Amino acid sequence: MSAVWRAARAAVRRRKLQTVVIGIVVLFSAATLVVALRLLVASTAPFEQVFNDQAGAHVVAVYEPGAAGPTTAPPGAVAVAGPFEQVVLPAPTDTGMIYLPDSLTVVGRADPAGPVDRVEVWDGRWATAPGEVVIADLPPAAGYHPPSQVGTVMHLRDGTALTVVGFGYSVSRTADAWVAPAQMAQLHPTAVEVLYRLRGEPAAPTVDAFTAALPSSGLLATSSYLVIKEAVAAGPGAYVPFLIVFGILGLLVAVLVVANVVSGAVVSGYRHIGVLKALGFTPVQVVAVYLTMVSVPAVVGAVLGSVAGEYAARPLLSNAFQGLGFHGDVGNGLGVQVTAAAGILVVVLLAALLPALRARRLPAAEAISAGSAPRSGRGLRAQRWLSGARLPRSVSLGLGLPFARPARTALTVAAVVLGVTTVTFSGGLATTVARYSSIADRNETAPIAVRALNPEFQQGTTTRSDEDIERLLRSLPGTRHVTAVLDKEVAVVGQARAIRVVFLRGDRDEVGFKEALVEGRWLRGAGEVVVPSALLHERGIHIGDRLTLELDGHRTEVTVVGETMSASIGDPGLLTAWETLQRLDPQEPIANHDVMFQIAVTPGTGIPAYLASVRAADPGLNAWDNAGVNTFTVSMISLSTTLSLMLGVVAALSVLNTVLLNVRERRRDLGMLKSIGMTPRQVVVMTVTSMAGLGLLGGLVGVPVGVLAHRFVVPLATSAAKVDVPRALLDVWQPGMLLLLAVTGAVIAVLGALVPARAAARLTIAEVLRTE
Amino acid sequence: MSVDEGRVVVRLDGVRKEYGDTMALDGVSLQIRAGEAVAVMGPSGCGKSTLLNMIAGLDRPSAGDVVVHDEDLSRLTETGLALFRRKRIGMIFQFFNLLDDLPALENVALAAQLTGVSAGQARRRALELLDELGIADRRNAYPAVLSGGERQRVAVARALMNRPALLLADEPTGALDSHAGEQVMDLLLDLNQIGQTLLLVTHDERLAERCANRVVSVADGRIVGERSLERTL
Ligand SMILES: Nc1ncnc2c1ncn2[C@@H]1O[C@H](COP(=O)(O)OP(=O)(O)O)[C@@H](O)[C@H]1O
Ligand SMILES: [Mg+2]
Repeated sequence: MSAVWRAARAAVRRRKLQTVVIGIVVLFSAATLVVALRLLVASTAPFEQVFNDQAGAHVVAVYEPGAAGPTTAPPGAVAVAGPFEQVVLPAPTDTGMIYLPDSLTVVGRADPAGPVDRVEVWDGRWATAPGEVVIADLPPAAGYHPPSQVGTVMHLRDGTALTVVGFGYSVSRTADAWVAPAQMAQLHPTAVEVLYRLRGEPAAPTVDAFTAALPSSGLLATSSYLVIKEAVAAGPGAYVPFLIVFGILGLLVAVLVVANVVSGAVVSGYRHIGVLKALGFTPVQVVAVYLTMVSVPAVVGAVLGSVAGEYAARPLLSNAFQGLGFHGDVGNGLGVQVTAAAGILVVVLLAALLPALRARRLPAAEAISAGSAPRSGRGLRAQRWLSGARLPRSVSLGLGLPFARPARTALTVAAVVLGVTTVTFSGGLATTVARYSSIADRNETAPIAVRALNPEFQQGTTTRSDEDIERLLRSLPGTRHVTAVLDKEVAVVGQARAIRVVFLRGDRDEVGFKEALVEGRWLRGAGEVVVPSALLHERGIHIGDRLTLELDGHRTEVTVVGETMSASIGDPGLLTAWETLQRLDPQEPIANHDVMFQIAVTPGTGIPAYLASVRAADPGLNAWDNAGVNTFTVSMISLSTTLSLMLGVVAALSVLNTVLLNVRERRRDLGMLKSIGMTPRQVVVMTVTSMAGLGLLGGLVGVPVGVLAHRFVVPLATSAAKVDVPRALLDVWQPGMLLLLAVTGAVIAVLGALVPARAAARLTIAEVLRTE
Repeated sequence: MSVDEGRVVVRLDGVRKEYGDTMALDGVSLQIRAGEAVAVMGPSGCGKSTLLNMIAGLDRPSAGDVVVHDEDLSRLTETGLALFRRKRIGMIFQFFNLLDDLPALENVALAAQLTGVSAGQARRRALELLDELGIADRRNAYPAVLSGGERQRVAVARALMNRPALLLADEPTGALDSHAGEQVMDLLLDLNQIGQTLLLVTHDERLAERCANRVVSVADGRIVGERSLERTL
């Protein structure tokens, strides 16, 4: 074995550059593979993962205080937590930056852990004494470090002061705030909640059966985890298919490139194999030498790469998870790392083994002559045609080179195609995601929301009517567009259930609703409605349909004129002009806090300053920033950028490797060409041309493939989310951009070719010619 | 006979070349005049090829001057050397060094095409040369199907494409059987007789006596002897 080792070591030493390339390619591929696998694993069942990590509650039951139910363990439950006392209180208004819902479900719990619903305290600590409270919220995405709000003091209606000592996250959404049980007595609990965990991942019938079997005495309400799951799946869960496509692409590219690089290395070593055989190495030893030769850099690359991949994957994953609506420990991914490293090494060994086995059968003499004996020319017709073409000879020679090695050429083109496909696809995806989220949230067009405080829950309310508020808002400096939004549950004649109708007043054309239109047209006046696609499908409504709305015995007819991607926050509702409400029932009472105002500000207006000016103008108005940072958009964009970059690098490396091999194989030819007067520049031109052609070809193929993949995946994702999307989400390509992308292939190839081309140009001719 | 008969084409002055610890050339001085046919002889590894490479500008000396056709090679950049070789030097190697992917004619034409000559013009001249060397009928054959002698004649044609001032041949018959070797020898002799300056590396006594009018003996990187020959035609 020591002879094998020594020969392999010598071979590695003689091929330093190639060894380095193998190592780097394997490193990047392993890293890409780790990221890809982590994405795949994470996106197969993101909700289930977080839910199981927290031992989420499959069923939450709310009982009257002192009911008998909670004390009996119902059959089918594998774990029970509680009873925890709870009370619903109007939210304090003096919480500063902490966002709270209008009414707050407060639960008394001694411990965030337990058999069910392990609350993750991500800032501060748990409430252990009276006067302390933990607020339920999502932790900020990785990379964001907003100032901690721990220490904020807030006052309940009855004057009780609570200090925020921590923030917790419960995927089961069992409370809005937690306090110590001792605090609870003072808050006069109105109910107790009990959390049940069932076996496995129970489906709806199981959950229903379990709920039905709960002791009914004192049972006030139950809720199923399926509702939360559904919300996640239809909401941000829509992005999961994107993540899967990224994962698969990464996988493919990694495997392909490694196969190309490693098998190329072995094929180019055929001559060396002949020499080894002539020295008396047995065929098995020859194979062993070659496997050892590629294994050394491959092992180093695989280990370093999977570690590096983990570091790249972590922030991406935690961001993606945050965007998916929950935060989970992304884990250490050790299993994935080991799998990726091992998987890449298997690919390396297979890729090396196949050509090495062929070499084993090669008679020594033939193998030795592989480098020096004239091959019968390949791709000769192309060569002949090129030699007569009106091109500088160095260019036409370069263009002819790929024809001599069709298999390697095909692998190189494939690598470039994949690289360009990925860059195209991920670029398009990033654009789509950004547009989707800006349309869905309308946060770019109308980032600010204003609503009057509700006297039922809040103090210091305003006496202005909704129309006065609108006038006030319009008079503020920096206001550009104001739209008043009012929702009402309205019966539709012929429909079993009422439908939410959203009445719009003011600049309703300007605050982003129009951009979300999928089909038909936007509202022109009273008597028209635009329907969200979800509702359209669910209720079997079509564009052109006439619907009769009924409110308090009054009726009016409306025509469906358009379909929109999404309506506004909350359940989907019909969009219509304010005038429709007046037609329907001019006497309908409107409370000022029922109306929300969406506001677009003039360019250059600072949002915090604007919000402050609204509150200053009327302290009875609550104003907030709807845009925030859409962390999910950011994370999707950074994800696509990172993956495109990684895959671009891997593709470039594989091109680099191909050029290296070609140059090595062509050393003698290059020496001869230089000896008859080819200048260093001509050598560079020739070598670079040989790859630029392939790169361009790869680009021309890769761009349409990338566009097709995008066309295929985006509808897949949106249909998973049960929405139709505007064409604008698919038409993200401009011809100029496509051309640029097609050229990326050539750019990758040229960059990959440049280094070995320069090395080839510097080859000492005397030395090259001597070695033969 | 050429006009500048007798003019010094190559001047080596105290040329040394070391490869690590190996002293490949150890103070070589040599002059070659236009029209001469000089044979460099010596045992394997004595520095013959290194000497040739210095003259062709394929490698640079560690010390000493190399002047070819009034050009001080040490002053030339890599590109300058390439242009110099194109214009002044034709080279023939023991193993032909043809491009396997190109047929004979294209291999020959290539040398002119590199200088920017059009494909048509280069092919016409290449065909003339192949014709003169008696292998015009093999012009469309690929190196793989040519015999050794034929390949070497294609290589000679390529070396002559740009009408070099100096033809350098490094063991041109070393890889040929004796019959093919004879033919190449005749070819070189004919070329010299129409005025082509020739520097020939060989350890074949017969080749030297047949083609050269001066023999330079090298051993251990030094010139150890020189003699003029009456050619035995
Ligand atoms: N590029 C090189 N690197 C290292 N040693 C070399 C190189 N070229 C030649 N040599 C050494 O220089 C000496 C002369 O070589 P060479 O000129 O090829 O001899 P010859 O052509 O007479 O057989 C030999 O010892 C050879 O090993
Ligand atoms: Mg030699």
